[in-house]
Amino acid sequence: MNLEEKLRVLKEQREGAHMPHVYYGDPTEEFSLKLIECMVENGADLIEFGIPFSDPTADGPTFQEACERALKKEMTPPKCIQGIKRLRRNGVKVPIIVTTYYNIPYVVGIKKFLDEIKKAGAQALIVPNLPIEEAKELLYEGKKNGVHIILQITPITTEKRLKTISDVASGFLYVINVEGVTGARENMTNSTLKLVNRVKKHTDLTILTGFGISKRKHAEAVVSAGADGVIVGSAYAKIYEKNLITPEETLPEITRLVKQIKRGCIEGYKHRLL
Amino acid sequence: MKKGRFGRFGGQYVNEMLMPALIELEEAFDKFYPTQTFQGKLEGLLRDYGGRPTPLYHAENFSKLIGCKVYLKREDLLCGGSHKLNNALGQALLAKKMGKTRIITETAAGQHGLATVMAGNICGLETEIFIGVKDIKRQASNVNKIKLLGGKVTPVKSGGGVLKDAVSDTLREWTTCSQTTYYLMGSTVGPHPFPEIVATFQSIIGIEIKEQILEKEGKHPNAILACGSGGSNAIGAFRPFISDEEIRLYFVEGGGESLGANNSAAAFQLGKPGILHGALMQVLQDEYGQIKPSKTRAAGLNYPGRGPEISYLCETGRVKACYALDEDVFKAVQIMGRTEGLIPALETAHVIAYVLNHRSEFDKDETIVINYSGRGGKDLKTIMRNCYES
Repeated sequence: MNLEEKLRVLKEQREGAHMPHVYYGDPTEEFSLKLIECMVENGADLIEFGIPFSDPTADGPTFQEACERALKKEMTPPKCIQGIKRLRRNGVKVPIIVTTYYNIPYVVGIKKFLDEIKKAGAQALIVPNLPIEEAKELLYEGKKNGVHIILQITPITTEKRLKTISDVASGFLYVINVEGVTGARENMTNSTLKLVNRVKKHTDLTILTGFGISKRKHAEAVVSAGADGVIVGSAYAKIYEKNLITPEETLPEITRLVKQIKRGCIEGYKHRLL
Repeated sequence: MKKGRFGRFGGQYVNEMLMPALIELEEAFDKFYPTQTFQGKLEGLLRDYGGRPTPLYHAENFSKLIGCKVYLKREDLLCGGSHKLNNALGQALLAKKMGKTRIITETAAGQHGLATVMAGNICGLETEIFIGVKDIKRQASNVNKIKLLGGKVTPVKSGGGVLKDAVSDTLREWTTCSQTTYYLMGSTVGPHPFPEIVATFQSIIGIEIKEQILEKEGKHPNAILACGSGGSNAIGAFRPFISDEEIRLYFVEGGGESLGANNSAAAFQLGKPGILHGALMQVLQDEYGQIKPSKTRAAGLNYPGRGPEISYLCETGRVKACYALDEDVFKAVQIMGRTEGLIPALETAHVIAYVLNHRSEFDKDETIVINYSGRGGKDLKTIMRNCYES
């Protein structure tokens, strides 16, 4: 199913979308495949598929370690792209959104990279270290290749930038709900709710919020405040990193959290304030 | 050339969270830097606190050895022991003007960290210095000085525990607090406007060289040489001479043990253009674009990237990209000691080693200037171990 179609269906069903973020190859390729399949079976509507990078400056300690572990096991971008193909072969149908830092597509060539991830079965790309000022080539090639380039909004993005970004964004908007880097946090702040409402004034695009969401109540809170879904990453990595020798053993715990977050996305929609 | 670009190099490859801070910084620099108040304050501090102008010293004994006239631009005499204070004072004043209350930065050799705490103290700003755990060990004397002056030292354990990792962690920290905190970038690296700001503050080196050499020699030098990784002391020395194509410019990077795989920091020899820490620059990386760790005994040269401006100047051939190997660097320290009674920092010793190994590149009637960027007190233990115990 394509990305826009999937997001439309979820809205029709009055459900918040749930997008788990996984760094592929951490701690092994086989585990990542199992993890993603398990997430999809239990309530992941989209998958944010991270290609590990050596210097993930927008990621907190949990994902830095995830990248480091994957790279130590010699994970490479071509192997990641193979991984997307394997997921598709294994019957994973949900939209796949690739995330990586700009040097990875830059060294192979933007066009070639987009072409490869698209052929493998991905629908969109997030590059966290590429602000709108530098995104011209990627936006152009993305449009030509039919790959959505997902742009980010933060609590300190000005109205002017918000408008510029909303005008060229496609797929959905990635709204970062805290100041800082990725990582599970205990409390959701009211500024998140304000931000989601601020973004809604500029665009009808789907809004997914991420950074710091680790509990059902977080998901429920932001979806009830008008977000169309949540992105959850470090919270899942924190579960399996406790057992890196046999991470498969943590899949039941991960399954529970996937289900809870999805439940939060559904409950949140019922109490929508907007 | 596009703003914030040096040829294709430079740019602002940061997450959206940092863009407002970079825009604010650029506006503040454009607003405050040209004013008389700012210039007067900076000039006064550089003179009375820093000790500028630093001398341009005709190293006669060393000249005899090389076979041409060699001048040393004595940045080692700047307060703090290196060129780093030029930039730290300028940016700390800017941070103060911007109403920031806290400065964060990263350091490797400790010179920039030290200069930042000095400048922070003068301006009444709290300072926090991120430093890799490996560098904390090898630059202990500077770390102690930082602590003594009241700077907070935050050890960086991630990655290899060296400069690259410290920069990443400082960027992460800045992402969480950019509204109150100023990131005082230590070299001509990072996203625009940092490379331009740092180059501007370091240009005082080249401006003085120009005046001093005209006074002493009545003409420009034939060549100027500087060591570097990000490139701040080199760009500072080169800038006023870049448009004069007659003057040869040499940039000496850390060759490490050898140019073999994973033993070097020589990004111009072994790297290619890539994106790291907010900018497109020459950088050590593998075939897939993963950044490779650099290796050299000089902590201050141990960075896989070359700043956008020096990347551009070397790509166009305006600056010659050179390197020196660890072994020759230690020899150079001893030779400088014996000939001139000066102990250079290991970073600075790279350019001395290059000159010693390439004497034939300089004719006997030529005058060259070495930017003598720092003194070696911080490296004494490493130097003694290598020169007398191996």
